[in-house]
Amino acid sequence: MTQDAEYEPRILGFLCRWCSYAGADLAGTSRKKYPANIRIIKIPCSGRIDPLLIVRALRVGFDGVLVSGCHPGDCHYQTGNYRARRRMSITKKFLEYMGVEPERLQASWVSASEGGKFAEVVTEITSDLKQISPNRLFSDERDGTKAAQ
Amino acid sequence: MSETEQKLRSEARDLLEKGRVNHIIGYEAGSLKFSTTPLITSDKEDTDRLVINPFINNNLSVFLGEVGGKAGIVARGCDARSIVSLIQDKQLAREDVFIIGVPCGGIIDLDKVEKLTGLDRDEIDDIAWQGDKAAVTIGGARKEFPAKEVLTDDCLSCEPPDPREYDLLIGEVGPLVTDGELGRSKIKELEAMTPEQRWEFWKSEFSRCIRCYACRQVCPACFCNRCFSEETEPAWISPLPRWQDNLVFQAIRMIHVAGRCTNCGECERACPVNIPLRSLSKKMEEIVDELFHYRAGTDKEAPPLMAAYQPEEAEDFIR
Repeated sequence: MTQDAEYEPRILGFLCRWCSYAGADLAGTSRKKYPANIRIIKIPCSGRIDPLLIVRALRVGFDGVLVSGCHPGDCHYQTGNYRARRRMSITKKFLEYMGVEPERLQASWVSASEGGKFAEVVTEITSDLKQISPNRLFSDERDGTKAAQ
Repeated sequence: MSETEQKLRSEARDLLEKGRVNHIIGYEAGSLKFSTTPLITSDKEDTDRLVINPFINNNLSVFLGEVGGKAGIVARGCDARSIVSLIQDKQLAREDVFIIGVPCGGIIDLDKVEKLTGLDRDEIDDIAWQGDKAAVTIGGARKEFPAKEVLTDDCLSCEPPDPREYDLLIGEVGPLVTDGELGRSKIKELEAMTPEQRWEFWKSEFSRCIRCYACRQVCPACFCNRCFSEETEPAWISPLPRWQDNLVFQAIRMIHVAGRCTNCGECERACPVNIPLRSLSKKMEEIVDELFHYRAGTDKEAPPLMAAYQPEEAEDFIR
């Protein structure tokens, strides 16, 4: 797998069902354009995110992961996004120390009314990820196979 | 037998006799020279086997969940922090444990002594702390080595070495020479590398991992009844010990114990293939301290790191 002009990063987005998922929906109904590189999974709250989900996404070959939830103070469950924030900041720093490029872990606060912001976020992280090479973290040179999908 | 040891034995016997505890968890001499092994007993006669020396390297708090009733436990600084951490996580009630604190002068790394003297441990007659030096007796002759040269890497960056939470303190707080910089020299090396080099480093380290789960089993912070690594639907990691899954397992384990891990170094000590796990746990401790000014096991009233938040916290990475 070589990096060429055609490289399109694959991004897995975990969006909270109260804010960011609705924000993504709004981006669609408002006909906002954003790269089709993101695959979205709806989660009940950003506080649902176990770092395991993030690492697992990288393990199966996604180039980047986005976790998006409600703005601080707006969590439907009061404190879920605060907890997510703690977990995310630790995970990001720790994975960076292990050798994962910081660009691969992305987070945003997108409210249900911010369709435009969602489109911007996806555009930005797609271009960020294009700056670095495709995710070969878990590829095994020995037998040349890509990590199991 | 040292004075501390004598005191410990009589106190432990007393605790069992008076029924104040159901079990004593401590150390006894191991089968190899200088080595020690955990002693868990409810028989007061066994207390005569308890030892305290510079080789007591197990973190005994891992056994607290396994013995029923009230346990009297011998605890050094790091063990006491692990116990406090377990209390914070409500894995243990403070009244169910009687902490026999022993001020710790640091644990001597026998491999380092062997390397310094060029002798096998069986050829060495005695090793003991002499102030801030380790006195090694070989065939009547005595050699002294600075503490920094013989301490285990964990102990080099230990703080505080004396237990802060205890019911009874035996012995006096002695000098412990710590050298945080020396203790984190491996981390410094890694930090100077590029991300690719670091990943390659961990990849090669985890290629050796046989997934024996010793790191998890000795870890007082790993108290889940069911570990994600054993789940089958979905299977988060393959049961085969391939480096990819070994690495995922350890990365997630480290993240899951963040804020609970007191960096006692048991995982690295238990690792049969010598993966430098402390370079991960120590780094995690630093990250947690830097971001949240939180140190595991220092305050039993504080909520666990991951169960708390501040409305205003670092979020410069969030768009």
